[in-house]
Amino acid sequence: MSSIPWPFPSPRHLFPSLKARINARAKRWARKRQGRDPATTRLGPGRVYILPTGVGLIFGLMAFAMLLGSMNYNNNLSFVLTFMLIGVGFVSMHQCQRNLVGLELTFAGADPVFAGQTIRIRIAVTNQSKSARYGIRLYATGTNSDIHDLKPGESMVFVLPLPTEKRGPISLDRFGVRTLFPFELFRSWAWLHMDISGLVYPAPAETAPEPPPTMTAHGHRQHDARGEEDFAGLRKYHVGDSPRHVAWKAYARSGQLLSKQFAGADTSSQWLDFSELPGLDVEQRLSVLTRWIIDTDRKLEDYGLRVPGAEFAPAHGEPHRRLCLETLALFDGGGS
Amino acid sequence: MAKPRGTDGSLLASLPWTLAALTISLIPHVPFLPVWITVAFLGCAAWRFVIEKRRRELPSTWLRAGLAVGCFVGVFATYSSISGVGPGSALLAIMAALKLLETRKRRDQFVLLFLSIFLVMSSLLREQYLWSVPYMALSLIVIMTAWLRMSAGESQSARQSFATGGRLLLYAVPLAIVMWVFFPRLSSPFWAVPIDTSQASSGLSDTMSPGDITSLSMSDEVAFRVAFEGDIPEPRDRYWRGLVLTRFNGRTWSGREPSISRSALSQIEVAGDPIEYQVTLEPTRQQWVFALDMPTSWSLQRAFMGPQQQLARTTPIDQRIAYEVTSFTDFRIATELSEMYRNWYSALPDDSNPRTVELAREMHAEAKSDRAFVDAVLQKLNREEYFYTLEPPPLGRNPVDRFLFETRRGFCEHYASAFSVMMRSAGIPARIVLGYQGGEVNPIGGHLIVRQSDAHAWTEIWLDELGWWRVDPTAAVAPERIDIGASDAAFFGVGQAWGLTAPSRLMHQVKLTWDAMNAKWNEWILGYGPDTQKSFMQWLGMDDPSWRKMMLTLISLVIGLILLISLLLMLRYRPPQKDEAARLYRRFVKKTGLQPQTGETAHVFAQRVVESRAAPGDSVSEITDAYMDARYGPGGEAARGRLRNAVGAMR
Repeated sequence: MSSIPWPFPSPRHLFPSLKARINARAKRWARKRQGRDPATTRLGPGRVYILPTGVGLIFGLMAFAMLLGSMNYNNNLSFVLTFMLIGVGFVSMHQCQRNLVGLELTFAGADPVFAGQTIRIRIAVTNQSKSARYGIRLYATGTNSDIHDLKPGESMVFVLPLPTEKRGPISLDRFGVRTLFPFELFRSWAWLHMDISGLVYPAPAETAPEPPPTMTAHGHRQHDARGEEDFAGLRKYHVGDSPRHVAWKAYARSGQLLSKQFAGADTSSQWLDFSELPGLDVEQRLSVLTRWIIDTDRKLEDYGLRVPGAEFAPAHGEPHRRLCLETLALFDGGGS
Repeated sequence: MAKPRGTDGSLLASLPWTLAALTISLIPHVPFLPVWITVAFLGCAAWRFVIEKRRRELPSTWLRAGLAVGCFVGVFATYSSISGVGPGSALLAIMAALKLLETRKRRDQFVLLFLSIFLVMSSLLREQYLWSVPYMALSLIVIMTAWLRMSAGESQSARQSFATGGRLLLYAVPLAIVMWVFFPRLSSPFWAVPIDTSQASSGLSDTMSPGDITSLSMSDEVAFRVAFEGDIPEPRDRYWRGLVLTRFNGRTWSGREPSISRSALSQIEVAGDPIEYQVTLEPTRQQWVFALDMPTSWSLQRAFMGPQQQLARTTPIDQRIAYEVTSFTDFRIATELSEMYRNWYSALPDDSNPRTVELAREMHAEAKSDRAFVDAVLQKLNREEYFYTLEPPPLGRNPVDRFLFETRRGFCEHYASAFSVMMRSAGIPARIVLGYQGGEVNPIGGHLIVRQSDAHAWTEIWLDELGWWRVDPTAAVAPERIDIGASDAAFFGVGQAWGLTAPSRLMHQVKLTWDAMNAKWNEWILGYGPDTQKSFMQWLGMDDPSWRKMMLTLISLVIGLILLISLLLMLRYRPPQKDEAARLYRRFVKKTGLQPQTGETAHVFAQRVVESRAAPGDSVSEITDAYMDARYGPGGEAARGRLRNAVGAMR
């Protein structure tokens, strides 16, 4: 029955370009009209749009047929039924729009991912009203969040998964929030244009050469680790330095954050160097460096990163790792 | 291309509601549907539910196709047609049952819910009782709940969906009322579709063959109800004129198709006071329009008076209609009857009922005048042994002879027929009027109920000095039939025979109350047609109502109501006032009677309040905590609620 194919092309297939053009024009119009939205945006009634769905159109046709039937039979009770349904249609239109109006949307960050992974853009939606909001969904080109209900006063983080391909900053110029509640007769939606961005690290190389061996400061292989006990001096604090190594006494005296340098630490660290990967192009080198950073970090060893235009002294820890990966993600050839 | 047939239990939240919606909209059809359809539907519903519950597979396409073919053949075999409400609702039920078996996705249920709406609609086309509206409301709320369940997330309980569905329906009620009142009603259908052809006409027969049918139905069914402007006329004046039979072939009296006569109305001369009343006529599927003998004006559109002063409409009455009539019970149909018509109205077939003809001629020869002859015939029927019975013996050939000389038992048709044949035999023009006589007064509704059992036949004869003159031979035999009416006669008989007068009196009272409610229902809700609408619009103050004006009023009222609903929704969804916590806290401060000092924090102030014993420590610390949480913490609505309660509970 339903497996019998509909013999006519659906309008969606007949006018794909027309639909896309109308859509694009509407989006441009909305963008111009609404301007850029702040990081926390409350949906006013003027920016919640509404159109009937396919089911809504069928419902309308059915109501019209029922109206004709009632008129023809002059049957007052089927008039009652018909008008109740038409009334429900009107009411559900307003209910559908009100289900969105007043929601507050806030960009809640996006954790960086490696190229090829899916970046999860988090948007917090807050329902401050005294009534629950049902069937709320966020969407952007090619992606959808899950559907959630929001109780009165509730705030919930919606996740928009975006596929990534290339390293570098990724931004979402526009996303939407929509609902079909109550009867799926209408779809109401709002477009938002917030400053939403995330960062994509280079994809870690699947096959990478062994990371360079641990070097001494003079370029020799280190044979005997002398530990971290040999104090070698102070240098400016870098993000990622262990708090244990911060010269707190010096800080108390001068107000300047300084890290203690140990001879052992310096000599036992690895340098991951962009220039030491001959025969590979820039992206491949970045991929290999990423792989090395991940692997070395996992081994809880210190590592330094040297790329054209930037150099990070060996260290370990999450902030250091992030700093290094961010550098690789945003690498632009080192000014050359 | 084989579609996956497995189920995963994802419909368990919505399927029971969809099944309930379908069942509840099917119930009113059950008495009219062949039993196997109801059984098939319930079977499919149970089957489908078990499939979902146990996560089984849906039946295969071949099995479903087989079932579909079988069911459609079954419907066609039962009804031998597929149009009309009967086969239509049977098909809807079958389609719902079969669609259930292929419903796999959430959205397939849309089709099922549309089907249940159509089932509700077709049940309303079939029957429009007083309880149809509450039942429709019940069906709608279940359908709407099922609809909401279909797309509800897991956090929504069925109860919430039910409440939401009910709320949205409630919002729609004023809109529906406004549209119902103001939507212009058409006086004629676009196309004539028989509502239900299987139902025989319940009105009077177009012909009359006394002796063919041996028992008269004592149907309690209401033929029409009458609401009088003034007093209800005496029972003996309550002759409800219907159709007139003019031709007799020896066995059967027949009339003509309704036709318009321009002169019929002008032939009526009236005296006395006019009687004004409204008739609510149940559908008869015939053209005849009933009115108190003798109507002079009527409000029914497309109704006309025929040459024998009978009223008819151009189209059969297949809906309940209401119309206003003015009648006079004191009247004379004064007209010259030409020789041609005189012969026409006294024509009898040769060699039929010879004994009756002979008797009539003898009696006419003995009588001094036509008037005396009429009296003599009535006296014969009165004095000799003739009995009024609703179950007379069959009469066979020459029925009038057999009735007058042998069986001597009959009801109004027999007497009217015999009397007319005797008149015609003597050359006096005679015709038979079919209609109703009497009716029961409903003291609760103040109206008159005329039932099918009040059907009556009487005669009109032409006398030179009187014109057409009504003679009711039944009155000569069974005067009580005319004086108290058929219903009451039957009622008293039954009650007395069983010695159960009191309880049946009470039952009767309940019945009359129910009838009164139905009468109002019919008059105001079902009978709301073009005429009633027009007068209601005038009552509302709209002068010269037209569909344009009504439509404009409808649109502006609907827009107004929608704005109101929109406002209601806006209030419902408005965010809490930003400073509600501050406002509540100010109320608390006012209640303590103390004044916070500049720079004094809430906690310090609270301590001061407790020390001064202006308020109990518990409530002060609760209020302070809730206030801090609502205003500066993540407490949100919950903390505001706590604050509201605490401040409200204070002293």
